[in-house]
Amino acid sequence: MECKSSGSPVTFVDNVVVPGDVVVDLSSMTNQTIKLGGGLRQDCDAISVMKAGKLRFSKPNKYWVETSQKRYVPCVEDSVLGIVVDSKSDNFLIDIKGPALAFLPVLAFEGGTRRNIPKFEAGTLLYVRVVKANPGMNPELSCTDASGKAAEFGALKDGYMFECSTGLSRMLLSSPTCPVLEALGKKLSFEIAVGLNGRVWVNSNSPSIVIIVANAIMNSESLSGVQQKIMAEKLLHKIQLIVLEGYILDCKWTIVEESVTFEIFAHLPSALKDAQDFELRIRIDPLQVLL
Amino acid sequence: MDGRLANTWKLTVNEKKFIETALASNLRIDGRNPLEYRKITIKFGRQELQEEKNNGVPLMSCYCVIIASVLPLEDGSSEVQLGQTHVMGLVTGQLVQPYQDRQNEGTLSIFTEFSPMADPSFEPGRPGESAVELGRIVDRGLSFSMECFPKNMESRAVDTESLCVLAGKLVWAIRIDLHILDNGGNLVDAANIAALASLLTFRRPECTLGGEDGQEVTVHPPECFPTSYAFYKSESSGGLLMYQINWITVVGVENGFSYNEREPLPLIVHHLPIAITFAFFGGEGKMVVDPVHSEEAVMGGRMTVTVNANGDICAIQKGGGEGVPQSAIMHCLQLASLSAESITKKIKNAVEAYNTERALRKIKRHPTSDAGNVSVAALDVIEQNKTIEQVEGSELSRHHLERLKLVPEDTCSSRGDDNDADIKPSEQGGTGRVQGNAVNFLGGPSSWDPYSKGVDPDSLKASLASRGVSTRHMKQNGSGENSPKTEPEKPTKDIKQATLATDTSGTALQTNGEKTLKDAVKPKNKRRKRASPSMKGS
Repeated sequence: MECKSSGSPVTFVDNVVVPGDVVVDLSSMTNQTIKLGGGLRQDCDAISVMKAGKLRFSKPNKYWVETSQKRYVPCVEDSVLGIVVDSKSDNFLIDIKGPALAFLPVLAFEGGTRRNIPKFEAGTLLYVRVVKANPGMNPELSCTDASGKAAEFGALKDGYMFECSTGLSRMLLSSPTCPVLEALGKKLSFEIAVGLNGRVWVNSNSPSIVIIVANAIMNSESLSGVQQKIMAEKLLHKIQLIVLEGYILDCKWTIVEESVTFEIFAHLPSALKDAQDFELRIRIDPLQVLL
Repeated sequence: MDGRLANTWKLTVNEKKFIETALASNLRIDGRNPLEYRKITIKFGRQELQEEKNNGVPLMSCYCVIIASVLPLEDGSSEVQLGQTHVMGLVTGQLVQPYQDRQNEGTLSIFTEFSPMADPSFEPGRPGESAVELGRIVDRGLSFSMECFPKNMESRAVDTESLCVLAGKLVWAIRIDLHILDNGGNLVDAANIAALASLLTFRRPECTLGGEDGQEVTVHPPECFPTSYAFYKSESSGGLLMYQINWITVVGVENGFSYNEREPLPLIVHHLPIAITFAFFGGEGKMVVDPVHSEEAVMGGRMTVTVNANGDICAIQKGGGEGVPQSAIMHCLQLASLSAESITKKIKNAVEAYNTERALRKIKRHPTSDAGNVSVAALDVIEQNKTIEQVEGSELSRHHLERLKLVPEDTCSSRGDDNDADIKPSEQGGTGRVQGNAVNFLGGPSSWDPYSKGVDPDSLKASLASRGVSTRHMKQNGSGENSPKTEPEKPTKDIKQATLATDTSGTALQTNGEKTLKDAVKPKNKRRKRASPSMKGS
């Protein structure tokens, strides 16, 4: 079943393709079945591209185009983050950034019966799975895995959700672990849920960690693996310095011709005193300075 | 219903709660301080557009051209980015009949365009509530202070009286179009900056009155257009009609060149009213400046303060339900006047950089001529403002011919030596050309800018000095450098330098002294030092 003779798909696989590219020539590969995913179409013997993105191939015979965009095109078995928009008697209406609202049947929960229907107010964030995505129909979601278990699906409490491109969320889910998450995860403790529809949810004990992680992820959109690591490490270094503020005992300042001089009395751990690039970042509330 | 539900953007419960809790400890979701402004980027229209437009436009056969298309496209358009928010401003002008009650004033109107591409919640077609509000706030900032100080016309941001061409008959109507390209929150501030930036770079063609009764209006096209236009007062209809104003007739064309072209005029902008938006949260009086999209969805109230760099309050707009104590308002005003200063500086820097680029581009735009022509043109400056055509057409004096023979073909290459140190390599080709074609500038009016004071005395001195130089007394002074070159070459070079000096100092005046041009002026000072002894000698 493997395509042997055709040279063209091999050259295109994992490369950027644009609409109109003919990636597979069927006339050269008879006696084979191939499966086409999103972004590809068949014109007689030619398989041509409909979207700009990277052509992917999975053994034995699946081809699809991976794109990065703001809008999500629902696809079966994707796990996504949805926002409850409305609830009807047998369905919740969920926004998954797609062209149409998705339906989440009220019974699609672990052990769901007519008696224990969950209550979600509008604006609740859910981690769900797409089970049906047919053209011309609203997609259908489920809060259980294939075997009917809850398996992490369901409402997400607290934390912060932000939107990104579908490409970025795919990068965050890729294995081995995305460098930015790996670097951040070594120093900070946080929970993260990534939806393939370009939504990411982050939770942690302190809001500042959430903000740091969220911004680091958003900044890593166009960075390579190494750059992501450097960026995350720089960020962590900065945070350490902020933590130092806890050691400051007293602080005096004098204002001389619009410039402010600080005198800081701090009790520092001896290890830190030796650090060469030691600097203190002081957060001043501009409100206080003004008044 | 389904479609509309999908288009209305809703904040999740999680986000709302998080923004509020984070703000309680003075943290914002994008990592800013509560009183920190986002990064502002200002871009202006691109020059390619203009180049395309000017190349071989068959204007001779055009009888109906509206003013907007006469203007170079690039002037008066700006793009402002405030974080994720992206707004485009476009200023155009048209000659219209004034309002009856304000016969000697031009008009200024603002139109907003909220595209659904920027935010799905914007509906195409009719302007929504926020679109109207945004336009009103910007409009009020630009014109409101007139109401406060009715006697002091200078308190208005844009001087509308200077837009009058013929009282009661013809005035300029300035139109500002604001296009929202991406909504990342705080559209008002971004749109206001875009409006100001495009107003500052907008230029309208100069108009003069002529004819027997002084009622015939001539619109002087920008100098890049090889024809001129005039408005005719139609005697038969007994006055100007609106549609006739927009008809342009080509007059005074001689061999494709006209002597009516003038540099277009910028608007007179007295001060820059900057809008600063504050968002208020909850009962504890939490306040942030420049809210992002999600903060706008959570905030209880909002206040936009329009102030200028001097600290004058031009307008205040309070939206949203939440009440704000007086002390908070006073605090906001203080903060606003501080940030207005820095934003004004940013706008001015961006406009200045654009003007420099524009002046340099104008230099490049002039037709290229070969080395022989260049030297003729350079000599022409000495002969006091003859145009290139005249020189080419008329017989050259014996003096000229003699000089021409002596100038070798390689002047082009030697030209580079003069500027090497001072001008960026990318601009070198263009500036090289300046020297030859400076004649065109000197021929045109030097006082096109209302702020300029004619020719700089320094530059005049320099040109006088260069004239002294041209009488070959320079030999004694300048012999230290360029030793391998032949003697007659030097005077031409010097003249060229001087031409550059006069020209650039003129442009420097127009553009309020930019770096690159100042750099280019440097040779002038050198020249003066060297040339003055030669003056004494002669």
